Amino acid sequence: MRTGTLPSAAYDDVSYTRGGTVDRTDVGALVQSAADGDAAAWKAIVEGLGPLVWSVVRAHRLSEADAHEVSQTVWFRFAQHLGRLREPDKAGAWLARTARHECLKVIRNQRRLTLTDDPLLLDRVSEEGVPEQALLEQEEAAARNERVRRLWQEFEELGERCRQLLRVLIASPPPSYQEVSAALGIAVGSIGPLRQRCLRRLRARLESRGTA
Amino acid sequence: MDDALNGEGFDGEELHGEEVRGEPDGEPGGAFDGQLGDGPAGGEPDDGFTTALEEELRQAAAVLDPMPPELLQIAVDAYALHDLEARVAELTFDSLVDALPVRGVTDAPRMLTFTAGEVTVDVEVTSEGLLGQLLPPRPAGIEILSGPQPGTPVTVDEMGRFTIDRPPSGPFALRLRTGSDVITTEWLRA
Repeated sequence: MRTGTLPSAAYDDVSYTRGGTVDRTDVGALVQSAADGDAAAWKAIVEGLGPLVWSVVRAHRLSEADAHEVSQTVWFRFAQHLGRLREPDKAGAWLARTARHECLKVIRNQRRLTLTDDPLLLDRVSEEGVPEQALLEQEEAAARNERVRRLWQEFEELGERCRQLLRVLIASPPPSYQEVSAALGIAVGSIGPLRQRCLRRLRARLESRGTA
Repeated sequence: MDDALNGEGFDGEELHGEEVRGEPDGEPGGAFDGQLGDGPAGGEPDDGFTTALEEELRQAAAVLDPMPPELLQIAVDAYALHDLEARVAELTFDSLVDALPVRGVTDAPRMLTFTAGEVTVDVEVTSEGLLGQLLPPRPAGIEILSGPQPGTPVTVDEMGRFTIDRPPSGPFALRLRTGSDVITTEWLRA
């Protein structure tokens, strides 16, 4: 029985075709196994698609607490519907769409009530240093952290649509366009061009700060 | 604020704004530019940079805004909630989505309806708690769930009505046992 993790296109330098290298064809099989009682298959699904769900809630700028509760709701509901999905191989899109709907409800409810806090992501830079490392390594790490921080800051300051699109696209492993479409309610065909524009914008911002 | 230097438009409009760097850009409706063998012939030099930048951003997200580990654990544990025996009562009405807002009324209770075949569960969520009714009325054991753990039992009167004195915090579902039937309402965040 297949119980491995979902393959990731992740962090090598090989360029990938969106949604191609991330072999989502296994998702259907994992969903089936999980429905049949295989807890390891369930875990593989959570590990493979959890970051996508998280990206969707973050793309909608939910507060930390709301983001947690929406994510939980999505996973509880997914567990509930396990074995009942019409298209198990599209579980990623199901999760992304469900997350989006729940996010929109939160936003609607907030408008009805009051505004809530904004997530202060920049305060959340990982401070988990590795205390025993050489000073040089620490300095390198600091420089890298600084670059990552700046990149993230420019990203956060992109216009809302770009920020939202990119936040979903950069889930790890990378989502398919079908999943992005379900996450944001935009046509699959417009994702590629928008992605290009948004990344170009981001690069321009970085260059104008001399960070590129 | 140096943000102004970049002249980036506000929300929504920005994607229709002037291209920041004046590069030619495939119009929407074109191919997935940059995705499928987008080479020099595509009008733009190879956009390997977009892939690289996206990847860099992906790694930044993994550091700065990863899925929290405790959430991962909760999602893993949620496996206990799968139950092929139970019927799922789907959310068929949610006032947050389906009802028109009433002007000036900001604290209207949230009204929810769940349906599984002939069984309907109406729920009203207020700041005091939940008011519900199971229709058609029938003897039932109801518990309110907030996760994979066993829920708090709730009594149902002969009209099928039940009350929960505390508003749910976070996701909740109701599990009904009536005869040999087990029905759970779709997980929802009140």
